[in-house]
Amino acid sequence: MLEVAELTVAYGGVVALDDVSFSVPEGAITAVLGANGAGKTTLVRTISGLVRPRHGSVLLDGAELVGRSPESIARLRVAHVPEGHGIVSELSVDENLRLGGLWRRDRAEQRVAVDEAYALFPPLAARRRGPASGLSGGERQMLSIGRALAARPAVLLLDEPSLGLATRLLAQIMERLGSLVAERKLSVLLIEQNARSALSVAGQAVVLSLGRVVVIDEAHRLAGDEALRHAYLGF
Amino acid sequence: MSALADDTDDESLGSALRRSTLLRHGVFFVALAAVLLVATYLVSPFHDYEIAGVAIYTIAAAGLTVLTGANGQISLGHGALMMIGAYTTSVLLQWRPGLPMIVTLLGAVVSTGLAGSIIGVAGARLRGPYLAGATLALAVALPQIPLHFAGVFGGNQGLNVASPTAPAALGADFPNERWLAWLCLAAALVTLFLLANLLSSSVGRRLRTVRDNEVAARLAGVDVARTQVLAFVISAVCAGLAGALFAYWVSITSPTGFTLTLSLQLLTAVVIGGLGSLTGAVWGSIILIYLPVLTGDLASNLSLSSDVANNVPLAIYGVVLVVAMLVFPRGLQGALVSLARQLARVIRMRGTVLPAVPSAPEQ
Amino acid sequence: MRAFLIYTVDGVTNGMVYAAVALALVMIWRATRIINYAQGAMAMFTTYIAFFVIEHGTPFWLGFVIALAAGLALGAVTERVLVRPVESRPALSAVILTLGLLIFLEALAPMLFGAQVQSFPAPFSRIDLTAGGTQLYFSRFDIFTVGSVLCVMVLLFVLFQRTTIGLRMRAAAFNPEIARILGIRVGRMLTLGWALAALLGALAGLLAAPVLFLYPTNMDEVLVFGFTGAIIGGLESPVGAVVGALGVGLALSYVSGFLGSDLAPLGSLLILMAVLMIRPRGLFGMTRQRQV
Repeated sequence: MLEVAELTVAYGGVVALDDVSFSVPEGAITAVLGANGAGKTTLVRTISGLVRPRHGSVLLDGAELVGRSPESIARLRVAHVPEGHGIVSELSVDENLRLGGLWRRDRAEQRVAVDEAYALFPPLAARRRGPASGLSGGERQMLSIGRALAARPAVLLLDEPSLGLATRLLAQIMERLGSLVAERKLSVLLIEQNARSALSVAGQAVVLSLGRVVVIDEAHRLAGDEALRHAYLGF
Repeated sequence: MSALADDTDDESLGSALRRSTLLRHGVFFVALAAVLLVATYLVSPFHDYEIAGVAIYTIAAAGLTVLTGANGQISLGHGALMMIGAYTTSVLLQWRPGLPMIVTLLGAVVSTGLAGSIIGVAGARLRGPYLAGATLALAVALPQIPLHFAGVFGGNQGLNVASPTAPAALGADFPNERWLAWLCLAAALVTLFLLANLLSSSVGRRLRTVRDNEVAARLAGVDVARTQVLAFVISAVCAGLAGALFAYWVSITSPTGFTLTLSLQLLTAVVIGGLGSLTGAVWGSIILIYLPVLTGDLASNLSLSSDVANNVPLAIYGVVLVVAMLVFPRGLQGALVSLARQLARVIRMRGTVLPAVPSAPEQ
Repeated sequence: MRAFLIYTVDGVTNGMVYAAVALALVMIWRATRIINYAQGAMAMFTTYIAFFVIEHGTPFWLGFVIALAAGLALGAVTERVLVRPVESRPALSAVILTLGLLIFLEALAPMLFGAQVQSFPAPFSRIDLTAGGTQLYFSRFDIFTVGSVLCVMVLLFVLFQRTTIGLRMRAAAFNPEIARILGIRVGRMLTLGWALAALLGALAGLLAAPVLFLYPTNMDEVLVFGFTGAIIGGLESPVGAVVGALGVGLALSYVSGFLGSDLAPLGSLLILMAVLMIRPRGLFGMTRQRQV
């Protein structure tokens, strides 16, 4: 279980997150919704250690993450799929996938994790030797998510996976992910601007506006609340 | 020295001074010239000789400040440009020994201006390490030319240059060193005056725009390549003038006077002095001349072996560079400015706090 | 023809030494966007260390290994202590820092080891070989020079392309932020990169010293020619760096052989400018604009 408590982040004088608290339960997807500039990306970057908060805490099963380096947070099994894929385009597809579980000691386990990613996203298997820069947008997203899963994470942070993807492809990816979530007891934090698709897969949703939490509720209730949808989610 | 820095606003000056940068700089430089004139009388000829050195390095460093500081182009080859100036002067004097200094200086300015425009045109397409590498190659390659064409340039021995003698009107026992210091200081002050005005003019703004954002500069209608070539020519001309004076200063022009170390010292002096401000160029030149003097004295007092003593100044210079980059990334000028700000804050606080607690002992 | 062959062999041999320096510069450039101007001075210093221990009775090959190890350590310490703090600063800070280190090492070496020019022993004969009465144009030392640099290059290639530590180093160099969120300790990878680069530089120093003699500035020109080769190759590409440096080695050898040794650096400058006029980012350089 990931717990975010009273998290405040500021860039210079501009407050990006203001006293944000919520928790991400195991085995479920928690969606974080909000307009551009609401602080969604700052939130995941703070959880993964790339941004230092002004104050507040992030607890993973009781262990404090704030103050740790991104690499040690990754080693606590927090996997981050950054906005815009974040693949290393100079490396091959296979090398990118191997990077996911590289910090783990056991070579055999690493290989199994990489093979699982190929099984999950077959289009990648066909291009494993090719450079990652040659992949299409959808394949890059698969690669990025596959790489994150190859690390066998406890927490998966997904930053706008829908960006630039066809709806059908996104649904496919989310479906495959959905079955893994329950099976591996993954805690998933799904950042989305595309609220409709996020609410269809999430259990719980957090709505951010200008850095503050405005609503935390079950996803289906939120999807049914027309006034709220209009006010914050734009559909 | 504040008038040298861009965008300073000294409130104690009259409103006319505040309106006209040219006038303000003029008044400042005339005052500075007077102070320096007196100063040269107060010190021994030996120290006058050192002052001349500071003035020479200041000219070259100020030119490099325009190129690297204001325009963001890096040059590791300014020693080679100084060499062109020095050899121009020396060859002219070889050809007509009695040529007045003003003619040889002009010759040096023209020849380095030409060289600078060639390098500038070639370098305008290059960025960062590519330009650094090209200028570094220049610094190594150019000193080979006088060796190869020994007939014209005197080869390894170099060419002798008679140092200027003081005019008789100044009195029979007027030291030549002081006269040389005057000439060099005059050249340095004129250079600084011109560059200070240039940097606060629209040309200076254009140089900085190109440095900060090439794309934005292009959108604003600035010809980026031409601006970069201009910066190179300006800095080359300064290096040439400095080189010409350098020839008179050391009395001999040979390839060994213009090693890679000279080029590296010029760039590093500009940066540790405080990149972007002409005052920083002055600080850097003072460091270049006086650090070896101070550390040399120290080394000879410790009666070290000559291998050690000869290298103490450079070793300390290297340490100063490294430490400066780790501790004062904005250079000596930057460090002084922030120190002055802190002092001002402390004084202001005292001014308001002290009257309330008249004789509070320190806790 | 005979002269041409001699100059070609010379050019390749020297070119391999420049290639070692060029490759070291490119490794560091790719990982940290810094040109290590002190690369040559560091190599000079580690060669002095070898000279010192050999003079004091250590067998040559042990001294050779000690110098390589010293290079490894010097590179690691330099990255950790000096370079790390300026990494996030403007590019010029790192330039001045490495220039400061260069100046410092070139002053420290004569203070510790004496200023006079020393002859540094070659591990193999420098006299040209003969095969069945015909004179060959290379010596055992030439073979050793080319062979050892090639050997280290192959080892580095295997390390970078075939091992997980190499994969980590490449990821850290290409995209440090992504590498960090994947749990790669980027800082350690950079330290390792600097250490390996300095090892390569130390090898270049040991191979250059028997030819150039050993004195505090003996590697200045080697650095400049290696840097020239790296730039011709495009700074991003290890293969380009080797090709560029071999080209510089050959060009210098032909120019100094046919036109006079004084003109060699000028020849290298002209080739550099010619390449840069046609391709401002070198032969193998990326078209992508990188702000420096």
